[in-house]
Amino acid sequence: MAGIVLYNYELDENCYKVRLALSMLGLKWEPIAVNAFPGNEQTTPPFLAMNPLGTLPILKDGDLTLFGAEAILAHLARANDAAGKWLPAEGADFAGVMQWLVFSAGALAVAGEARRNSLFDTPGDGEALQASAGKLLRIMDDHMIARGYEGLDWFAAGHPTIADIALFPAFALSRDFGIDHDEYAGLRRWGRRVRSLPGFVTMPGIPDYY
Amino acid sequence: MTTAGVWHPVALSASIEPGSSAGTHIDGKEFVVWRDNSGAPHVWEDRCPHRGMKLSFGFVRGDHIACLYHGWQYDTAGQCRYIPAHPELDVPGSIRVPVFQTVEAAGMIWVATEPTESAPPAPQEAGETVSVRSVFFGAAIDAVLAAIETTPSRPFSDEAAASVLRQIDGRLYALTVGNDRLLLGLHSLSGERTALHVVIAGPAARYAGKGQAHFLAWTAELRHRIETQPAAAVAA
Repeated sequence: MAGIVLYNYELDENCYKVRLALSMLGLKWEPIAVNAFPGNEQTTPPFLAMNPLGTLPILKDGDLTLFGAEAILAHLARANDAAGKWLPAEGADFAGVMQWLVFSAGALAVAGEARRNSLFDTPGDGEALQASAGKLLRIMDDHMIARGYEGLDWFAAGHPTIADIALFPAFALSRDFGIDHDEYAGLRRWGRRVRSLPGFVTMPGIPDYY
Repeated sequence: MTTAGVWHPVALSASIEPGSSAGTHIDGKEFVVWRDNSGAPHVWEDRCPHRGMKLSFGFVRGDHIACLYHGWQYDTAGQCRYIPAHPELDVPGSIRVPVFQTVEAAGMIWVATEPTESAPPAPQEAGETVSVRSVFFGAAIDAVLAAIETTPSRPFSDEAAASVLRQIDGRLYALTVGNDRLLLGLHSLSGERTALHVVIAGPAARYAGKGQAHFLAWTAELRHRIETQPAAAVAA
């Protein structure tokens, strides 16, 4: 199939990362709705053939099939942003983007677990997940407070990158798992700047007005 | 703990940008801190009289704050002025959010949660300030003060010097380290949770950037100490 196809579940924060990137990059794409809840369709053989991990999102771009939101963001940026703003090619900006993408896909995944536990009653100790997610948001907040001293508004560079896109949903959706924004002044400031970027879109749980 | 006649610091001035809002607590009660587009700060009860939704989830438009649920808009006196579902309605004066006397001093926003008549003068602190951050602890105010005494900051402007903590007025403290002076606002979120609002008393020309980062590191050290030591040891 030609063009970009996203196997999408509207309430999945990892799918939302990709929808944000597609919209901010101004790309044309088609969604294919996946019955992730309650159907768990992404764990059935046709989906496992595309992503053996049984997770969303999955992206098809021409002949390429790709899973993992952060890898998808990197592909979309490299393939469509010739100026290399969203994924800087080298130096400290590249290194910073990589650090925060790995943080997002690795440690910060617990925020998604906390959210699914809270919304869909998936297994886990809700309180422990919430506490772990809160500590990770605090690491992000500490970073953005320090960036502010240097007059920098974004996580990894002097301009928005795919690191900002990857990190945004965990903060913006934190009320879904019982963490308010009260104690994260650095992230509130950054979140307002993310919301003002051209192509910004919301999802259920993120208000249209702010 | 009584809160009568006390000015509470609720946020750093720099943390509440014009046209934005944030929720907070004072001794377990919910408040919204918001700044209108002209720059004036407001601290109100964090509850829309319509359905009880937190106003801190809402949005600021000009000099009104609007509830996220149904868009009811309140003016800076807390009076409801506009109900989108009834655009022609002259809104009754009884639809009103409790508002509290609010001032800015020492680079922080302060609120008197008692009726305005009985509020004492707000903390006074003249001179330029540079904000560091608000830092949050799972401990009561007394334990945080004790930890500040036992976790001295190194000065930014000198090699080494003793650090001296002194109460200026109510919840406003000064921590002097060598030639540097920090202003600390102690904010009781609940009996077991405290916010510490930290600013540097001094010119941006000297402290912006590296000076801020220097004292940010101290707040991280303080937080680490409180989180890794038993409460009794910190308070001792």
